[in-house]
Amino acid sequence: MPSRRRTLLKVIILGDSGVGKTSLMNQYVNKKFSNQYKATIGADFLTKEVQFEDRLFTLQIWDTAGQERFQSLGVAFYRGADCCVLVYDVNSMKSFENLNNWREEFLIQASPSDPENFPFVVLGNKVDVDGGNSRVVSEKKARAWCASKGNIPYFETSAKEGTNVEEAFQCIAKNALKSGEEEEIYLPDTIDVAASSQQRTGGCEC
Amino acid sequence: MNRSDSNKQSSSGEQEGAEIVYVKDNVAIHPTQYASERISGRLKLIKQGGSLLMTWIPYKGQSSSARLSEKDKSLYTIRAVPFSDVRSIRRHTPTLGWQYVIVVLSSGLAFPPLYFYNGGVREFLATIKHHAYLVRSADDANVFLVNDFQDPLQRTLSSLELPRAVSVTNTPSSAAAPSESPSSWTDGETFDRNSALAQQNARQRQKNNDPARDLSIQVLEKFSLVTRFARETTSQLFWEAQGDGFIPNDRRKHDKKTHDYPRIAESNNIQKLPEDVPVPEDPLEFDKVSLVWGKPRQPPLGIEEWSAFLDSEGRVTDSEEVRKRIFYGGVEQGLRKEVWPFLLGYHSYDSTYAEREYLVSVKKSEYETIKNQWKSISKEQAKRFTKFRERKGLIEKDVVRTDRSISFYDEDDSPNIKSLRDILLTYSFYNFDLGYCQGMSDLLSPILYVMGDESESFWCFVALMERLGPNFNRDQNGMHSQLFALSKLVELLDIPLHNYFKKNDCLNYFFCFRWVLIQFKREFEFEKTMRLWEVLWTHYKSEHLHLYVCVSILKRYRRKIIGEEMDFDTLLKFINELSGHIDLDAILRDAEALCICAGENGEACIPPGTPPSLPVDDASMYYQQDDDDVL
Repeated sequence: MPSRRRTLLKVIILGDSGVGKTSLMNQYVNKKFSNQYKATIGADFLTKEVQFEDRLFTLQIWDTAGQERFQSLGVAFYRGADCCVLVYDVNSMKSFENLNNWREEFLIQASPSDPENFPFVVLGNKVDVDGGNSRVVSEKKARAWCASKGNIPYFETSAKEGTNVEEAFQCIAKNALKSGEEEEIYLPDTIDVAASSQQRTGGCEC
Repeated sequence: MNRSDSNKQSSSGEQEGAEIVYVKDNVAIHPTQYASERISGRLKLIKQGGSLLMTWIPYKGQSSSARLSEKDKSLYTIRAVPFSDVRSIRRHTPTLGWQYVIVVLSSGLAFPPLYFYNGGVREFLATIKHHAYLVRSADDANVFLVNDFQDPLQRTLSSLELPRAVSVTNTPSSAAAPSESPSSWTDGETFDRNSALAQQNARQRQKNNDPARDLSIQVLEKFSLVTRFARETTSQLFWEAQGDGFIPNDRRKHDKKTHDYPRIAESNNIQKLPEDVPVPEDPLEFDKVSLVWGKPRQPPLGIEEWSAFLDSEGRVTDSEEVRKRIFYGGVEQGLRKEVWPFLLGYHSYDSTYAEREYLVSVKKSEYETIKNQWKSISKEQAKRFTKFRERKGLIEKDVVRTDRSISFYDEDDSPNIKSLRDILLTYSFYNFDLGYCQGMSDLLSPILYVMGDESESFWCFVALMERLGPNFNRDQNGMHSQLFALSKLVELLDIPLHNYFKKNDCLNYFFCFRWVLIQFKREFEFEKTMRLWEVLWTHYKSEHLHLYVCVSILKRYRRKIIGEEMDFDTLLKFINELSGHIDLDAILRDAEALCICAGENGEACIPPGTPPSLPVDDASMYYQQDDDDVL
């Protein structure tokens, strides 16, 4: 039975400063929330083991600085990404409007092999704030944008209360896995290096 | 000897209750190959309390050479080193020339070879043995281990496979050829031989350029093979010592502290010392024999000592001396408020009390004027002023998450948080082109904490940003030039590590981005950050000491980085997690030593105008394009 050798899934979280990227990551991985996370400088990542069917994967979640000025660093951090998470704050129109910039910037810098089908997931965060009264971006508006960009999956989350975080990352992991699949090289379960190279040599000579 | 007697009471660090158990005159070091530049002095062993100390004090005014100043001589002085800090002593008894010893400290550093012109090495060792724990190494009869040495050292020594008997060749110059190196790692199958070659080339190259290196090569040539093997041995000892920064025990502690972060998959075998991967020796360790490493840190500058630096009208009479003093010890917390404005360049050293008082009052009203520019923006006006709203929003988001664990900032409606905001917003008007950028609140926070007053903090911050502003440029040119310089410095000071980074696609040095952008603000606790900053701001040894700090941290963990074959991701994670675990004093001493060692070659690695140097062309540096986010 063939299985993939692949075990690492790389996910990049992007979005304006202060929309809750670090909080979402920490809520998902550590089940914790703090309102004292410092502004991210440079980049960092957390990892979490996830299981799909009977296979284990390491989800590597990259948290980056939210200020546009640091975007030139992206080249180093975005490469090899399997999924990109775009986060905005439902209480900030600007952060929603910037989603398009973040998406385009990501596609330019990460230059995935198939940009049309590269998996994004959009999270509208901070739905808990002020009981939803300070909300300025409606769910409908967000979903419309997601639909227009090739049916990007959309979740409304609260990193503070943990709302929908697990579900969102399940989806993110699944999409990351799918994205890899197209380019996946299938290898036999166990590889006998000597045997397979012999085989290959034989094949070439034929 | 009269000469040495007169020296006896001077700066040897002797105190009451100390007993001199060994004295030897005419013990010399050879900083260069020139006989005229040898420095003779008196070696002493002193018993004080329960511990044994070693001192070596050069004779005063004895040198025949004009090239050796008293300052140079004092650089080599060994001041009361306790034997608890000594790792080993290697004895050399060449058939030609004088006997000498190399004293290796447990930190891995070593003093220059001490030549016993009048003999007495045996007596020296016997005296130590009498007063401290000294055993002869099982592997090498000429190595004496001090204190409790365990397996690692034995292992190292046996791995060297040193020839038992070394004959003295009659062609000294060939002895210096590195191709004969018996280093064990070149035999490792997995290690890239190109790196080995590159390392040798670099040695060759640096041998030609680097005065510090020349110094050691010259000693090497002089004493032929015997010396060379000694040096190789010593370098291996250092190499072993490198591991000490992160032995498994340390790692456990480290893990415990960060237990809420699951360990990344690649480092599951993190507990295991990386023995299977050959780690190339650190080429610089090779040289440490010939250098006296960074001086011990001093207590911080206090108010009395500071007052003595001021004349009756408040001018700093010897700014160089003040900066030197702060470089080695920092400043007491209570005095920082007075001293930092000088270090930052807000006050000039030759200003009087009256001039400073006047400046402060003028600057205060200037600050209020600028602050009023944004204070007077009405709600209606703000509605039509997107850039202002966005900038303000970004600053407000950041100030409430800056150093909130410090009591100075911990209250939710702390007036100090409001001051942070006001200063940053005012700065973004003062320097509208640069605006606000994340990281600035980290740089301002300790300044406000120290200065207290809003206007004073603002102007100190302005002075700091004169130098660090380019870190925040849209095109990141300030950051790129510093990371570039850092890569060049590592190439100069640790070619195998450089080759390792090259091979693993790590030469962009983005893993050091946070270190450089905010001057290690996130790497140390608050107090230590302030200590580090004031040392950096002295610009005493170099304007770019922070880059040497980077190199010294990387060197300290090189064995782990290379041994565990860290890739870019793992390295970034590792560096991020070093936060809170870096020994500042040790790193500063290393950085000073590296800076001295790199000398002019080091400065040549750093392009002109690289922050924190003042910009070459002030006007163009901050220019931002119109389509900038300007946040």
